[in-house]
Amino acid sequence: MSDLDRWCLDALSVDFDGRFQLDDISWTIQPGEHWLIAGANGSGKSALAAVLAGAGDRLSGTCSGLPDRVALVSYEQQAELIEAERRKDDADILDVISEGTPVAEIIDSVSQDDELAETLIDALGLRPLLDRAFRKLSTGESRKVMLIRAFTSNPELLVLDEPFDGLDHDSLWWLQAHLRDLAKTVPMVIVLNRFDECPDFITDVAYVDDGRLLHKVKRDDERAFAEVRQLLHLQTTDLELPPGDPAAQLPSLNDADPLVRLTGAAIRYTDNTVFEDLDWTIEANEHWQLSGPNGSGKTGLLSLITGDHPQCYVNDIQVFGFQRGTGESIWQIKQYIGYVSTALQWEYRVSIGLRNVIISGFYDSIGLYGKSTDAQKAIADQWLDLLGMTGRFDEPFNSLSFGEQRLLLIARAMVKHPPLLILDEPCLGLDDINRQLVLALIERICTTSNTTVLYVNHRTQDQIRGINNHLALQ
Amino acid sequence: MANYFNTLPLRLQLAELAKCRFMHLDEFTEGVDALKGKKLVIIGCGAQGLNQGLNLRDSGLDVSYTLRAAAIDEKRQSWKNATENGFTVGTYEELLPTADVVLNLTPDKQHTNVVNTIMPMMKHGACLSYSHGFNIVEEGMQIRDDITVIMVAPKCPGSEVRAEYVRGFGVPTLIAVHEDNDPNGEGLALAKAYAVGTGGHKAGVLMSSFVAEVKSDLMGEQTILCGMLQTGSLLCFDKMIEEGIDAGYASKLIQYGWETVTEALKYGGVTNMMDRLSNPAKIRAFDLAEEMKDIMGPLYQKHQDDIMTGAFSSGMMDDWANDDAKLLGWRADTAETAFEKTEAGDVEISEQEYFDNGILMVAMVKAGVELAFETMTDAGIIADSAYYESLHETPLIANTIARKKLYEMNATISDTAEYGCYLYNHACVPLLGDFMKDIKTDVIGKGLEFADTGVDNARLIEVNEAIRSHPVEVIGAELRGYMADMKRII
Repeated sequence: MSDLDRWCLDALSVDFDGRFQLDDISWTIQPGEHWLIAGANGSGKSALAAVLAGAGDRLSGTCSGLPDRVALVSYEQQAELIEAERRKDDADILDVISEGTPVAEIIDSVSQDDELAETLIDALGLRPLLDRAFRKLSTGESRKVMLIRAFTSNPELLVLDEPFDGLDHDSLWWLQAHLRDLAKTVPMVIVLNRFDECPDFITDVAYVDDGRLLHKVKRDDERAFAEVRQLLHLQTTDLELPPGDPAAQLPSLNDADPLVRLTGAAIRYTDNTVFEDLDWTIEANEHWQLSGPNGSGKTGLLSLITGDHPQCYVNDIQVFGFQRGTGESIWQIKQYIGYVSTALQWEYRVSIGLRNVIISGFYDSIGLYGKSTDAQKAIADQWLDLLGMTGRFDEPFNSLSFGEQRLLLIARAMVKHPPLLILDEPCLGLDDINRQLVLALIERICTTSNTTVLYVNHRTQDQIRGINNHLALQ
Repeated sequence: MANYFNTLPLRLQLAELAKCRFMHLDEFTEGVDALKGKKLVIIGCGAQGLNQGLNLRDSGLDVSYTLRAAAIDEKRQSWKNATENGFTVGTYEELLPTADVVLNLTPDKQHTNVVNTIMPMMKHGACLSYSHGFNIVEEGMQIRDDITVIMVAPKCPGSEVRAEYVRGFGVPTLIAVHEDNDPNGEGLALAKAYAVGTGGHKAGVLMSSFVAEVKSDLMGEQTILCGMLQTGSLLCFDKMIEEGIDAGYASKLIQYGWETVTEALKYGGVTNMMDRLSNPAKIRAFDLAEEMKDIMGPLYQKHQDDIMTGAFSSGMMDDWANDDAKLLGWRADTAETAFEKTEAGDVEISEQEYFDNGILMVAMVKAGVELAFETMTDAGIIADSAYYESLHETPLIANTIARKKLYEMNATISDTAEYGCYLYNHACVPLLGDFMKDIKTDVIGKGLEFADTGVDNARLIEVNEAIRSHPVEVIGAELRGYMADMKRII
């Protein structure tokens, strides 16, 4: 391919029978690249692959340079062919029982290279099936036929949607080797659900979510590649939140009391008043979003609740049944709160291992100063699994990327299943991938736990499902 | 007032000096109960005063601040500190008569004045707390018989006291009860509760005496902690410049070098610090340290002797009476030194390079730590105290130099420490003059050139044995072991 031969989708929106839509796809495939398309179920990754083969109705945008001979192997296309065979059978023009089109004919009809076809038929063990009707094959067998059709059609681009699915071990092994060979001459786009099956020759990853192409990552950008992998893990793995530590039950709260009640709250310094006369009650299971411009006192307000602001002692504040300033200690308050903020991340400058960072959430400490129990270690390891960081328990916290640190601190905040989780701009300073990672995790927390979430953010696109109350500071 | 220590018979002097016991976490199960519901009034709202107060209040205690009427009327910084943090602030007359515990967190030199003023206002049976025993031990302040006198001394700057508490930890803390003033026998319970309130119990509490605290604290800060680091900084910098090393590099190597090499000290004592050097470098550092110990030994003894006899404190009190003329003059001189005035260069120095190119600095730390420890224990101070006041605190002071050179160190430490540091520095720089003449860049600035990295086995074994068997290493291993349970997991 020459430079002119690069393939370009520009701001392309495509409709699929009104059932699904791809939006605003901009994507360039350069000569020499082999792409992996990744995404959760329903994200649109198969649709994007199919677009390369001309599927869908273009709504807007352009599509330039795509070759004529694009070979697509996918479940949809396989199903279509089987459906077509079935319709032939139902055509009922002749009063004979149709056997349907035999495999040999199905292959011959597209093959440009009979010699290759014969080789592949043997390699995939299809020779005994050549005379059988295509529609009578098993899913795996018909998949092999589809692959042979694709390989023998002299394609300029091979688009393979879940090519390894449903193949037996030997065929899988053969296919991987064959693709590796083929990659030297034919560009490929492969859709995979599982990252660990990603072939070595893949050079680029496209990450699709909700009909949009969100990330394009080079394979050799190890950090970005790992983040996409983790994002996929969080969105596709159906893990429960790990349980709390039964040995460390919090003193129970009176259900009649709100979690937080501020009456006429104010923060004042000698030369300015940040806010005053603020009344706010947070009931259990009532998720809140707090917003306001810089300097409006969002963080100050939160720290009145957490007890980190010294003026909590001169305000009328009731938290978790304690009237502040009546002899309670700050640790009695903090035990009910999970807290994440950029400031905390800056404070959390420790070289302890990831497992201990999570365990430190049981003690509300930065760093870990006591001996942890086996139960706590087990729980922390389950959190690492949830985050897609299995087995990395000894890795030093300060060696993680900023986004990974943030994820870990959210796990630390949640590990004790606090009645109140405070997230102060949890996406601040994160790139797109990490922002989605964090939001995916928070959403999981909101929908699967008894924790009340208090969420502070600026960005309207970082909405979280399930948060219905809103307090805006001026 | 007479020097209290000098009024004691030798038997009691030795007994008081030998008091020092590492307390175990299970001795603090009563938490802050002994102070619960009591009215704590802090005098002074500087770094220690404010930060201790924040911790005590967050531990559920009733804390307020008293300032002189002028400080309140003029809304001085101390008034702002207290007020913006939501504390009640009042005059001595308003708050002291109802106070159960009065925490005197003013600078040493104000103690006599402050204590004489407040004592008549304090209610019968109240408690007066110090965080340094100078006023009692060196100035001989007599406290009313009905008042309980205790000391709670976090062994860190005020900002660290707060930062560690917020992290859920604390800083090592020394507590003591003044035996002459414990009328109800509640001094220890109050001191323990206070230590818990500041978070100190989590990091380790030493039960000591006023005498041991003063005599060891003065010795440590004057010699190894501040004096040796200041002297070493100036000598090493000037030597590197003389030998043609880039000034920015030299400045950086020293400014961050102390912190880096003493970090190794913190984790594993002198042994670990020396082990960070290559074998030939270790032997070099060992020999240099031995040579310096011979040269500096008499100076360490003089400092300890002057501290014991009270000559040091009376000399410093003369300077107080003379408007700190000497202190201020020395402070100004330090600001003018070449090291202080040369910015750290924008050069990358790896962690290991600080060791490899700073062999002399490692040797200075080793010599200073060992000498201070030996001199203190020779004078009757128990090994535990001597360890904390020498090796243990060295990294803390080194951190302050890393932040902003000698200026930051001298700004952070007390005036008492600063005064002693200058005394030491002025004697030690000329003392090491001849020694420094033979120093070349192989031990400061460039590192050894390894034509041959081989060492003699017998010599290496001998050196290792000498390092590891030094008494400061023996007690250090034991104390670091005690603290392992409560120490942060690193």
